Order: sequence, then structure tokens, then C-alpha cells
Amino acid sequence: MKTLVGDKSNIIKFIILVIIIAALFLLPSWGNQYTVMFFMLVFMYIGLGQMWNLLAGYAGLVSLGQQIFIGIGGYSLAVLSNYYGVPLFLGLIIGGLIAMVISIGLSYLLLRMKGMYFAVATWITAEALIVIFAGWKFVGSGNGMFIYAVRGMPTSTIYYYSLIVAIITVIIVVFLLRSKLGLGLIAIRDNDSAAETSGVNIFKTKLYCMMISSFLTSIIGGLFYMSQVWVQPYAAFAINWTIAGMFIVVIGGIGTVAGPILGAIIYVFLNQYLAQFGGISMIILGIIAILVILFASKGILGTVQDKFGFEILSARRHSDRTFTGKPIEELDSSNL
Amino acid sequence: MEALIQSLIQGVLLGGLYAAIGIGMSLIFGIVKLTNLAHGDFLILGSYISLVVTSTLGISPFLSLIIVVPVMFCIGFLVQNTMLNRVLAKGAEPTLMITFGLSIVIQNLLLYFFTADARNLKSSIALKSITLSDGIRIPVIYLIGCIVGIVIILVLGAYFKKTYQGKAIMAAADDLEVAQLMGVNTKNIYALAMGISISTAAIAGVLVGVIYNFYPTSGSSYLVIAFAVVVIGGMGSTYGTLAAGFIFGVAQVLGAHFFGAQAQLLTGYVVLLIMLIFRPQGLFSR
Amino acid sequence: MSDYLLKAEDINAKYGDFHAVQGASFDIKKGEIISVIGTNGAGKSTLMKAIVGIMKPSGGKVYYKGEDVTGIPTHKLVEMGLIAVPEGGRVFPRMTVLDNLIMGSYTPKARKNRDQALERVYSLFPILKEKANQAAGSLSGGQRQMVAIGRALMSDPELVLFDEISLGLAPTVIKDIYATIRQINKEGLTVILVEQDVKRSLKMSTKAYVMLKGKIVLEGNSQELTEEEVKRAYFGI
Repeated sequence: MKTLVGDKSNIIKFIILVIIIAALFLLPSWGNQYTVMFFMLVFMYIGLGQMWNLLAGYAGLVSLGQQIFIGIGGYSLAVLSNYYGVPLFLGLIIGGLIAMVISIGLSYLLLRMKGMYFAVATWITAEALIVIFAGWKFVGSGNGMFIYAVRGMPTSTIYYYSLIVAIITVIIVVFLLRSKLGLGLIAIRDNDSAAETSGVNIFKTKLYCMMISSFLTSIIGGLFYMSQVWVQPYAAFAINWTIAGMFIVVIGGIGTVAGPILGAIIYVFLNQYLAQFGGISMIILGIIAILVILFASKGILGTVQDKFGFEILSARRHSDRTFTGKPIEELDSSNL
Repeated sequence: MEALIQSLIQGVLLGGLYAAIGIGMSLIFGIVKLTNLAHGDFLILGSYISLVVTSTLGISPFLSLIIVVPVMFCIGFLVQNTMLNRVLAKGAEPTLMITFGLSIVIQNLLLYFFTADARNLKSSIALKSITLSDGIRIPVIYLIGCIVGIVIILVLGAYFKKTYQGKAIMAAADDLEVAQLMGVNTKNIYALAMGISISTAAIAGVLVGVIYNFYPTSGSSYLVIAFAVVVIGGMGSTYGTLAAGFIFGVAQVLGAHFFGAQAQLLTGYVVLLIMLIFRPQGLFSR
Repeated sequence: MSDYLLKAEDINAKYGDFHAVQGASFDIKKGEIISVIGTNGAGKSTLMKAIVGIMKPSGGKVYYKGEDVTGIPTHKLVEMGLIAVPEGGRVFPRMTVLDNLIMGSYTPKARKNRDQALERVYSLFPILKEKANQAAGSLSGGQRQMVAIGRALMSDPELVLFDEISLGLAPTVIKDIYATIRQINKEGLTVILVEQDVKRSLKMSTKAYVMLKGKIVLEGNSQELTEEEVKRAYFGI
């Protein structure tokens, strides 16, 4: 397995990376409250984006149901800490595990679906969860739940948790793609049936992606509702979560590791900045996403990478998933 | 017993309306092979345009269709022509995301111009009903919705069977390249199909607007219905869509009848999920 | 220039980085039958795609009836009387035989003479009249090929491009179909045959072009070319 540190330019990259991460760890001690909040959100959305990218950009599973796991994470934390006195940190982990178990069940039902069927099924599952949670007294029905244990917790704690989760998601994606699993993913992405015959267990590979994605997305959901204090079904299971993840990945560059980082910064910035214009913020977000897909289908980073031929945070063995559709070999040159 | 019959009748009537909601989506899936995640939002956009037309001209919502349908046809045509056609060759995700983006834009534009208040299209017919017996009454507007749904399907069926344009659409759905070889301008055909799809959505939007309250965010619940009808009926099957509408309508109403009004939505979702898991090609796929 | 009905000059076509056709030229006069021969993947079908506008050539020129038609949309070419019969008897499987044929007369010009053209197709292939209301996808391979040919004839064409019509068909069926092609050629249609079958296409055509790896490696009058010569060029040995 290759390491991040290779030749000279890689050493420089590595040093810059260390400095940035160190600065981010020290941020709460010198940054103001707003900056800390801003980056805390950026970290959560980086994680959200990375995990959606793992499914859609690498495993070929365009999920519209990441909110399932956000909601499960938020509610698990609320129920565990309110009813059973479980410490918050443990609550996050258990929430992640619950989400993972659910994702295994869902995988057995949904993974054999292709393309849009999978997309729709994940989304409908989330919609069904809204109805179920909104009618379930145990979790406060439509009013949702307060997470009492969070009161008095400093923002910096959630900030650190979020930073660590963001770093973990990035590391996981980078190393996953360099591992055997990553090789299998690329084989699947390029050609399902060929991958199958060459011994890649497609189901297992996709299942692992679902499990990892659900675990970390659930923790992000828990963290988000720690910062919000109140979890409510219509927001927790809302499609907006997937929209955000999709926007981040598409803007940044689908199938790139650094793309979602850039995308998350842009998303949180636009959201905060456009908030002053009220309703039109979402309109502008939507229009930007459409324009990027139409005119820079590889996202900002993908387009820049193509132009200048460099890659930040390389997950070599190809991470240039693009929208160019079928590989050339499939275009049968002998048919009219 | 009478309550059950009442429910069944209501389910069947609802079914025609559901078919009208889903037919456009089914067409686009069958022909252009794309999933329009903004279908429900286009439907609600139709409701709002009708609202504007009825309130400025003081005409009935049904009469407003004369303006609403052409406007929505043009919107659909342009969306396909200027955006979706450009990325069709690049696989499923770009179109999925563009329609998703459109959904967000439409919802929030409506929110911006019309606020989040509940609206409805006023029609004197909305309150009338036909009494069959003491316990069984048929609301006239539901009957109209059902009939309109059936008429849309029949008209489309005839259009595809009898006209050159309709045949060209079917041919493009069967084999795009060969249709092109026969002299069909396929990019135009796709735009035409989207125009028709969005027009049917708009008609459904006006019906829905007379029957229920609507909000800028109502689109997603109609998208679910459209999905359900499309999945049950088999993608791209015209008459399958009609049958699927009835099945889904009855299933929902029975769910509500036996498990309470809360269960109506959930029954719908569960039926849809079961279909997706066990028979994604639909009950009536060709 | 005007002697030629169709003239292709130095056509290049690419799929991404793959250079499928590299500078191919050929021409055909009115009333002729020419054949373009090559193995699977030699680039002949890509060349045809570039001619009929399904694909934009990356270089070169196509002249039809003396006009530069390089890269113009297929539907315009169909209106000018150039039509292709796609390989493998590709029909619209869920449409009826009759509707398939009717789709052949899609252009405004062809719609006017539709009934006449339909009579002619039925007289060429009587079986299609019998099966008019069946789904085209339910027919046998040979019958599907007849639908595809009939459909092309419905467009009131001057030049018909047949792409590998013998592929996967029984020898007797192939013989019938070739006889039909000869007949419609006698009635005045100009024909381009794209084939893998060396012997048969040499026998049918006045002129032959052999393609290998994207290039035309041999051309000449079909009568003057020997089968040996063609086969060597065909396999590149």
C-alpha cells in the first residue's frame, strides 16, 4: 500500500496538509464563535458529501435516502440519552451501529435494484420513516424530541467531533479506494458483469459501502442534532440532506476526494451568505447546480484537474469518475 | 358495509386522477428513459399558473386550461431542449440531478412569489355530490377527475396509434437510432414528449388544485403518487398506468379504511416499496 | 463531381481516442451497386454512420447530389433520398409491421406516396401483408430484415445503404433478399452494400472497397478483383 508521502512534491503537500489540520484543531482557541460554527458545519457537510460520493460516485448507487441515516443518528442520540442516560459520545457510536444494521437490512432489499429504482426506493423509505416517526409517541410524534443532555455543552466540543469525523471520512475514502475493495468498486463501476466474472462479489462490495456510509452519516446526523438540540421528523428525514450532499459532490467534482471538501465550503458559504436574501438562496443553489452539470459536468475540481493535470488527495487507481457515460469499448464500432 | 363500498368507489375515482398524475412521468420514462424528479413540482406549477389565470381573468379553473396547458407545454419543451437533451448521452445521473435542481428551483420560486400559504382553485363543482343511497355519495369533482384521467389516457393512446408524430415518439422509444435513420428528428421528438408530459401534469395539477389545498412544497407528494403509478403500471405503458392508478387508489383508500386516515400515506409507500422490491418491471409491462 | 450521386472524401471518425475511420474515400454513381467489405470492427459501419449523419465525422467531406452534406442531420438526408437499412434487421419491436413500414414514410415527401409505396413493398414481400398487424419483434430474423428493407423503400429513396443484411440469416433467405436488392436496383435505385461476405458482395456489385483497421486498403471493379486478392486485403495478410 502506498503512503501519502512519496516524492518531493508529495512531501510538500503532506506538510501543508498537516499545517491546515493543525490550524483547524486550534481554531476554537483563536477564532470567533461565528467562524467556529461555520467550520463545524463545513466539516459535517464534508462528511455528508464524502459518504454520498462513496455511494454515488464510486459504488454506482445514486442514493436519495441519506436522510434515513441522518434521522436515525439524530433520533438514536435523543432516545438513548433522554430515556437511558447513555453518554452522548457513546450515543453517537450506538446510533451509527443502529444505522449500520438498518443499512444491512435495506441492502438486502434494495441493492438488487438498478439506477433509478434504487434512487426512488431509498427516497420512499425515508418518506415512510417521516410518516412513522411523526405518528410514534415514543419519539414525540410530529413535535420531535429535545436532547436534554446537550444543554450547556460548548460548541467547541461538537466542533472537534465534527472535525474528527470529517477527517475520518476523507481518510476512509482515500484508503478504501486504494484497497482491494476500491479495486472491486472500480471494476463494478466500469462493467458490472465483467467484474462479477472476474471474481468481484458485487453485492458484498456494495454492502460494505452502504454500511460504511450509513455508519458515518448517522454520526454526522447525531452531531448535527447535538448542535441543534431539537430533532424533528420532517427535518431529520427530509430529502434536503441528500440535496445538500449531492450539491456538494456535484459542485466540487463527483468521484474526486477533494471535490466534496471544496463543495462543502461553497455550500455552507452560499447557505450562510444567501440566507440574508431569504427564499432565493435555494433558488440560486439549484440554478448553480444545474449550470455546473450542464457546463462543467466534472465539477469545479474535476474541471480544474483536467485543465492543469494535478490531483489533490489522490486516491490513485482512477478517481476520475465523470459523466462521460459508457466506456469507449462499449461503443460498438461495428454496428450502424 | 356501506362505508366500505363508499371507500371502494372513492378509491376507484381517485385512481383515474392518479393515472392523470402519473401518465406524464411514465411517458418520459418510457420514451426518453429519464426519471423526472421535478414531475410533481411541474404539476403544482400548473396549479399555481391556473390560480393566477383564474384570479386575473375571473374564469373557472377548467377554462383556465386553455392557457395553462400551452404554457406548460412550452416549459416542458424548453426544459428538454435546452437542458436535458444536452446531457442525455452522459448516463442517468446528470438528468436525475438536473431534474432535482429544477424541483428545488420551482419549489422555491413558488415559495417566493406565493408564500407558504395554502391555496386552492375555487370551483362551484367542488362541493356538489351525487347521492346513490343514504351512505353512498359520489363527489362530482372526484368523478370529473377520474373521467379526465381516463380521457387523457385514451387520447394519448389514440395519438400514439394514429398520428405520424405519435408513431415517431413510439418508434424513438423502441429504437432511437433507427428512428433517426428513418428521418425522425429525435431531439425534437424528446422535447415534444416532455411538452406532452408536462401538459398532462398541468391538467392533473388543475384537478388536484380544485380538490385539495396546495402549497409550493406539495409537489413531492404528487411525485410519490406518480412514481407509484409508474412503477406498478410498468414504465412507459399507457394503459398500464391507468390500471395502476386504480390499484393504487383503491389500496390507499382501503389502507385508510382499515387502519385509519394516518395509514393512507404509509399504505401507499409500502405498496410502492413492495412493488419496487419484488416486481420493479411493473404488473403490466409490455 | 456531378457524375457521382455520393462521394466521400478522406472521412475520419473517432470514438473518444479511438480512431475508427482513418481517411476513407469512396464514390458511387447513379444506378450503381458498390460494396464496402471488411471484417467486424474494420470501421465500415462507423464510416456509414458518418455518411448518414448519425455521427459527426472528425474530418473529411461528404457530397450527395453535388452538395456538401458533411455532418448535416440525418432527417435532412432522408428527405434528400438517402436512407439506411440498419444491420441485424433492426425493427421497432413493439410496433406492428404496418406501423414499422409507415415509419419509413415519415418525411413529408414520402407521406404523399405512402399508399403506392406500401403496395410496392407488399408486392416485393407478400408475407409482410399477411403479418401487417403483428408486432415486428415477434417475426423471424429474415422477416424482420424484410421489414427493415421495406421500411427503407417506403421513404421513396434514391440511394439505399444496406448494412450487413446477411448477418445471421439462413443462406436461402439471404439469396431471396439479394435477389430483391438486385430487382430494386434494376428499377433504378442506387445501392451501397456493407458486407462481411466477400464472395456474394463481389458478385453483386460493380465496384468494391475493402476496409481494414479503419482504412480502405483495396478498391477496384468487382469483376476485375479476384477473391484471393480481396481476402488478403480483408484479413491484412
